[in-house]
Amino acid sequence: MAIHERSLVEPERILRKERLVVDGVDVSGDWNLIIMPRVINDYDVDFGKDVLSQPEGKTINQCYQCSYCTASCPVHNYWDERYNPRHFIYLARLGMIDELQKRADVMWRCVSCHKCTHRCPKGVLVEEVLKAILKVMAKRGIIEEYPSKKFDKFFTESVLEYGRIEDGELLFGWIEKQGYNVVKDPILKKPIPFVGETPEWLKDLVMKPIKSMNIGFLVLNAKHMLFHPKTKNWSKFKQVLRKVMQEEGALH
Amino acid sequence: MGVIGKRVAYYPGCSLEGAARSYDVSTKIVAKELGLELDYLEDYNCCGAMESKNVTFMGTMLLNARNMSLARKQGHSVIVAPCNGCSFSLQRAEYFLETDRAVFDKVNSLLREGGVDALDQIPHTYHILEWFYHEAGPQKVREKTRKPLRGLKVANYYGCLYTRPHFYARTYAHAGGQDEEARPRKRDTADDDEHPYYMNALLEAAGATNVEFEPMHTQCCGGPHSLSDEMVSEKFVMMILQTAKRNGADIIATECPLCHASLEMYRHRLMLKGVPDVDVPAAYFTQLLGLAFGYSAGDVKLKDNLSDPLPVLKRLGLA
Repeated sequence: MAIHERSLVEPERILRKERLVVDGVDVSGDWNLIIMPRVINDYDVDFGKDVLSQPEGKTINQCYQCSYCTASCPVHNYWDERYNPRHFIYLARLGMIDELQKRADVMWRCVSCHKCTHRCPKGVLVEEVLKAILKVMAKRGIIEEYPSKKFDKFFTESVLEYGRIEDGELLFGWIEKQGYNVVKDPILKKPIPFVGETPEWLKDLVMKPIKSMNIGFLVLNAKHMLFHPKTKNWSKFKQVLRKVMQEEGALH
Repeated sequence: MGVIGKRVAYYPGCSLEGAARSYDVSTKIVAKELGLELDYLEDYNCCGAMESKNVTFMGTMLLNARNMSLARKQGHSVIVAPCNGCSFSLQRAEYFLETDRAVFDKVNSLLREGGVDALDQIPHTYHILEWFYHEAGPQKVREKTRKPLRGLKVANYYGCLYTRPHFYARTYAHAGGQDEEARPRKRDTADDDEHPYYMNALLEAAGATNVEFEPMHTQCCGGPHSLSDEMVSEKFVMMILQTAKRNGADIIATECPLCHASLEMYRHRLMLKGVPDVDVPAAYFTQLLGLAFGYSAGDVKLKDNLSDPLPVLKRLGLA
C-alpha cells in the first residue's frame, strides 16, 4: 500500500549466497542478493489519528515526505543517521508501531532547534509533531522513560512549585538524579556545591568565581540556592495549573 | 525605525536574575544609553522554556498567557525578552492563541479562575536584539560609541530560536488562519531567516570586526538537552567553538543566557579533555556594546563570564 523504504527491510531478510545457480544459470556475483518479502498487516490506523488529535500534532497530515526536515536536522547530520524526522512522521501516519518501537532509543534526541519546522515547505510544525508522536507513544507504553523526559518533568515541577526556576537547583538536582551523591546541608537540605561526588569539571567550574573573588555573583547565587526565587501571587494560579496538568495526564 | 516602540514591557526571565545577571545589567546599560525604556514586568513567572511544552500543552499556554496578561495590566502591547527561549515561548503562545479560538477562550477562562485578568489583546513579543536594531539601530550605536572595539574580531552566535521558526515570528490575523486574507505575513521587524545580521550590524557600528561564522551562527548548542544529553551537546558546542577559533575570532558574542551557559560549560569540559581550538571565550553582545559606550569591565560584570574574556579584551586594550 505504501512506498517501501530501504530502512524497512530488516537485516535478516537480506540473503547473500556465495554461489547461486537458478534454473541451471550461474547468477553468482552481483545478482545473488535476495530480499525476502515482508508482509505487514498490523497497521494501527488509530495511531496517526491519536497524533492528529494532540494540539501539537494537528499539522501531521500536511506532510508530503520531501525530507527537507531530515536534511536540515543537526542530530541526523552530526550525531546519528537513524534519527530521521521524515521517517518518524511516515511511520506514525501508517501506524507501524513496531518500527517506531525499534527506534525508541533515538526518537527522544530532538534538540528543539526548529530547523525542520522553519524550513518545512508544507507548514508542518515538525518539531511539535515529533513531540506529539512521543507523547502518544508514551501514553501507549511503547517508549520507556528517556533522559530528556525526566529532565522536562523535573523542570516543570520546579516551575509549578515556585513559578520560577533557579539555575543551581536545576543543575545540582539533575546531577543528583544522575546518581551522584550530592551532599546537602542538614538544616535547609540544599546542595553544597564543592563537596560530595559532583563531577570534576563541575567542581572546577564552580571554583572559578571563587578564585576570581567575584563576591557579588557568589552572594546572589548562594542566596538563590538557599531561598528559591518565587512568583508572589502564585498559589491560586498554581492550583489552576495543577488542575490543567492533571486533566492532560501530565501529573501522576 | 520606530516600529516597536521606545517604551516596552521587559520580561527578563529566570536566568537573568541569577547566573546571567551580567546580561541583565548590561542590557539595562545599553538601553539607557540608546534612549530606550524598559518597564520591568512585575511578578512574572517562568515561560516554561523548551521543557514544559513537552510535558503539558495547556499548562505552557497558561504560563505564557499569565505573563502577557501582566504586560497588558501594565499597559503594554509589546513584550521584549532578552532570552531566545523566553521570546520563543511567548511567540509560540502568541501563535497558538491567535490561530486557535478554542485555545484562546479556554486560556482566558482559566486565567480568570487563577485570579489574573483575561487577555483583551495578545501582546507581541520581540527579541531584545530586534528591538535595539529597530528602535536605535547602528547609527545610534555609532553616535554613542566612545571607545570603539577596534581590533576585536567577533563571531556572532545567534542560536536556534532567534529566527526560527518563522511561523512564530510572524503576525496572524485572528481568523483561524483559514481564508487567504488572514494568512501570516512576516513582521517588518524580523531578522533575516537564514542569515541573521542584526548583531553583526550593531557590533560593527561599535567598531568590532565580524568574522565569517556561517553556518555555525545558528547551529544548535544542545539547548534543552544541555544537561540531559551531554554527548550530543558537547559535540555541537565543539563544532561551534572550533569554527569560531579557526575563522580567527577573539570572542563569541551571544544573545541568549542558555546558549551562553551551554557554551561556557562545555568549553570548560572540552578544554579539560584537551580538545584543540576550543578556547574562545564568550560574552553577551550587550557587554561588548557597554564596553564600547565607555563603561568599565566591572560595570558590565565581565567577571561573571565563566569563560573569562577579560585577558583577550585587556590584550586589545578594550577593558
